Amino acid sequence: MENSTEDYRIQSFDLDTQVLLKTALKDPSAVNLEKVSNIIVDQSLKDQVFSKEAGRICYTIVQAEAKQSNGNVFRRNLLNRLQQEFKSREETRARSLQEWVCYVTFICNIFDYLKVNNMPMVALVHPVYDCLMRLAQPDALMNEEEVDCLVLQLHRIGEQLEKVNGPRMDELFFLLRDGFLLQEGLTSMARLLLLEILEFRAGGWMLSSTAHKYYYSEIAD
Amino acid sequence: MPYWCRRSGPSQWSHCRKRGIDGSLRANREAEGCDRENGRHTDNSYRHSDNRHSSFTTPESAGPVSRCGRQADWGSQVEDDEMRRGVHRDMQRYRRRILGAEVTQRERKTSSGSSGSCDSREGENIETDEAVLLRRQKQINYGKNTLAYDRYIKEVPKHMRQPGVHPKTPNKFRKYSRRSWDQQIKLWKVKLHAWDPPTEDGRDNLLDNIEELGLDDVMDIELDFPTLSDSQNAPAALSTHSLSLEGEDCLGTPVKIQKTETTAESDTV
Repeated sequence: MENSTEDYRIQSFDLDTQVLLKTALKDPSAVNLEKVSNIIVDQSLKDQVFSKEAGRICYTIVQAEAKQSNGNVFRRNLLNRLQQEFKSREETRARSLQEWVCYVTFICNIFDYLKVNNMPMVALVHPVYDCLMRLAQPDALMNEEEVDCLVLQLHRIGEQLEKVNGPRMDELFFLLRDGFLLQEGLTSMARLLLLEILEFRAGGWMLSSTAHKYYYSEIAD
Repeated sequence: MPYWCRRSGPSQWSHCRKRGIDGSLRANREAEGCDRENGRHTDNSYRHSDNRHSSFTTPESAGPVSRCGRQADWGSQVEDDEMRRGVHRDMQRYRRRILGAEVTQRERKTSSGSSGSCDSREGENIETDEAVLLRRQKQINYGKNTLAYDRYIKEVPKHMRQPGVHPKTPNKFRKYSRRSWDQQIKLWKVKLHAWDPPTEDGRDNLLDNIEELGLDDVMDIELDFPTLSDSQNAPAALSTHSLSLEGEDCLGTPVKIQKTETTAESDTV
């Protein structure tokens, strides 16, 4: 049963690119995979919607290439692009908060989807933590966009991350707790988001039903 | 010059390699001819200002490696990690198979008084050093990353393979000296060359390989190839002698190694 291409959220691409991506999914050897991976990365840095789900299309292409020719050109290029962007993340953040937030969303999504033998890619663990730690710094907590991004990632991959490196998760949450309790100038939304994530982790990466009611009762199901 | 040694342009074996140095597939591309003429690889790998490639695929690496040695790039880290996991998984499978075989053998042997054959001790004689296993796996991968290997496995399904006649991947889990192992790999690759795609000028690849090998080296090579088949998709039978007798697809007269004109009609694995 194939994922319909709507699942990959490629509607934001122009038609030629959509065709290219669809071909990459079905017949990887027919396309330039390095080019495809660059297209995906570039778009992920611009498009918040796409960055949240780009992992899925990447996963499918990686699997397709491995099955068709036992290659991993796509994966290698993708990872190396990710690495380049990681190295220049501070400049990116300074230039555009949106791009920075997109990058973090994207790398976390890749971490979520691209597993190796059902295990997370070890090479990404520290970089992901580094990104989240950056989002937990005082200057970042002042921006709702960054707090929102942080809590979203922790909801999605927090449990997995903690499994592969518990101490760093502790370290991250010390920052979050201190930020919540001590930092002046946080918006009330930011504080709420932080409180919720603190409870979420304390509850074993889920909210009790009462906590859920507390935070989400006003949101339509 | 050893056949794996890279020269500055495409080597005489470039057309046999499944992938260019940036890792991308080069099967069936006629662009190979152009490469020969202008001495450049038509790939997209990053080039330094002095036009030298910044990465190469060497026998030791699973893919392109940066010229400066240490693999700090995520792509390589993930590949290495994947290989390590694969080797561990192979080891568990292998152990299970050996122990299974040992039990069966012990049950058969009752008190026959035959001296302990080395087979029954196989379970305790597994190579477990990770560094050794990884190195061996890389060498195996390098050999499998060839058009010859692709053609070979398509042409000769496992149950039709005959020991001595058809190349068999050396068993990385057996204890061998470094030299013995390296020789086995060399021999295996030489044998695989029989399935190289035909060259334009119709040179006899097989003879060239044997000349390069130097027949003096053959003297102390272990000629008994491991009895266990590849860890990939292992049939239930362990003894190679029984393989040639499994009749279902047997076409009668065994197929000898031939030059690569034969089109395989046999079932693919």
